[in-house]
Amino acid sequence: MANKIDEIREIARKLMEEETVERVIGYGKADFTEEMTPVFITSPEEVEKLLFNEKSNMMLAKYLLNYKDSKTGIVAKPCDTRAIASYLSEDMLKRDNVVIIGINDCPGMTDNTACNECEVRNPVLSDYTVGEEGEVPELKLDKTLEEMSTAERKEYFVDQFSRCMRCYACRQACYVCYCEECFVDSNQPRWVGQGTNPEDNFTYHLMRAMHMAGRCINCGACEVACPEDIDVRALTAHLSRYAEEIYNFKSGMDPQAKTLLSDYNPDDSQPGFID
Amino acid sequence: MNKQNEFEPKIIAFLCNWCSYAAADLAGSSRIQYPPNIRVIRVPCSSRIDPLLIIKAFKMGADGILVSGCHPGDCHYIDGNMYARRRFVMLKELLAFSGIEEERINFTWCSASEGKRFGGIVEEVVNNIKKVGPWQGLGVKEGGLVSGK
Repeated sequence: MANKIDEIREIARKLMEEETVERVIGYGKADFTEEMTPVFITSPEEVEKLLFNEKSNMMLAKYLLNYKDSKTGIVAKPCDTRAIASYLSEDMLKRDNVVIIGINDCPGMTDNTACNECEVRNPVLSDYTVGEEGEVPELKLDKTLEEMSTAERKEYFVDQFSRCMRCYACRQACYVCYCEECFVDSNQPRWVGQGTNPEDNFTYHLMRAMHMAGRCINCGACEVACPEDIDVRALTAHLSRYAEEIYNFKSGMDPQAKTLLSDYNPDDSQPGFID
Repeated sequence: MNKQNEFEPKIIAFLCNWCSYAAADLAGSSRIQYPPNIRVIRVPCSSRIDPLLIIKAFKMGADGILVSGCHPGDCHYIDGNMYARRRFVMLKELLAFSGIEEERINFTWCSASEGKRFGGIVEEVVNNIKKVGPWQGLGVKEGGLVSGK
């Protein structure tokens, strides 16, 4: 890990000194805790702030949307590179404006259960890489929900979402949630009430998942962000697995690919339709 | 159970203007008998259906929904229903996974000449929904509980 940090700092220093980028976004130590926090490097002297360890679980890719028109360097875990690939496929970024410092052989983050299911341990696109390419460790897939009956799952999700206080941390943390006006904030028409009654909570979580369909890369940022430890990832993760099963589609692997729902194949299967 | 107390589901049917609405029209003008449980909403194309509309129907107490559009390849807007199809497949899986009975969520294709078939589909959908019983509400467990056991 120490080598990786040195390499990251070296590349960042080079980028800053040559003025190829205006800033480098990376991970640094938070002020009062052992947690990590995003840091923004704007001069070569500051690169010593950059760190990387198993607690670097934020998705830095989302910050890139704030700097669409200037060149930005970013320290990217493999999931961040997938996020950047989906931004490119959705035309949210220009490839020339991002310099990706990809981290090879991602160890997986502590406190993030999504990392146990992750099979992308090396960057899918990068300008510089740090460390040696690694193998995918044995995956720990949790199938409990899939094996439950519909009624049991309903009970599970009603219990989970009844704890939601609608702070929208999952929305803010998610890299694909970037609409200028979210449907929950719209009051003409008002789709979802502002309170936290179970019906509105359920609507919010269903629609959040539906907007992620075919875009979620199962990075687990929503789950990490949730202050109530709600299983907010279950729905989106299930849909991304389902998309892979039905359409053989995996988001964020190819910057040229279209997203799942903005494309079609005339011979698509239609499970569950009435013939 | 006598006829009066029998559960009669309310089903919101989103029908595309160009095919399925015409099919419903044909079913009517050819005097085809089918259950009166559907409430029709005419939409320009099946791809007009935002998943929010379907969730809103459930929020407002519909026992089930039926979405019908032109057959793939016959869309008035060339490929609207192709996009809709992928969306519906994902939506149905999502709703079913979140615990809404699959029988309540129905998608089909129905052309303007298939009046008889349309009647048959409505009958099938109504029978299926009658089997799963009245809708409890979104975010509500069996028996009307919202949290706890």
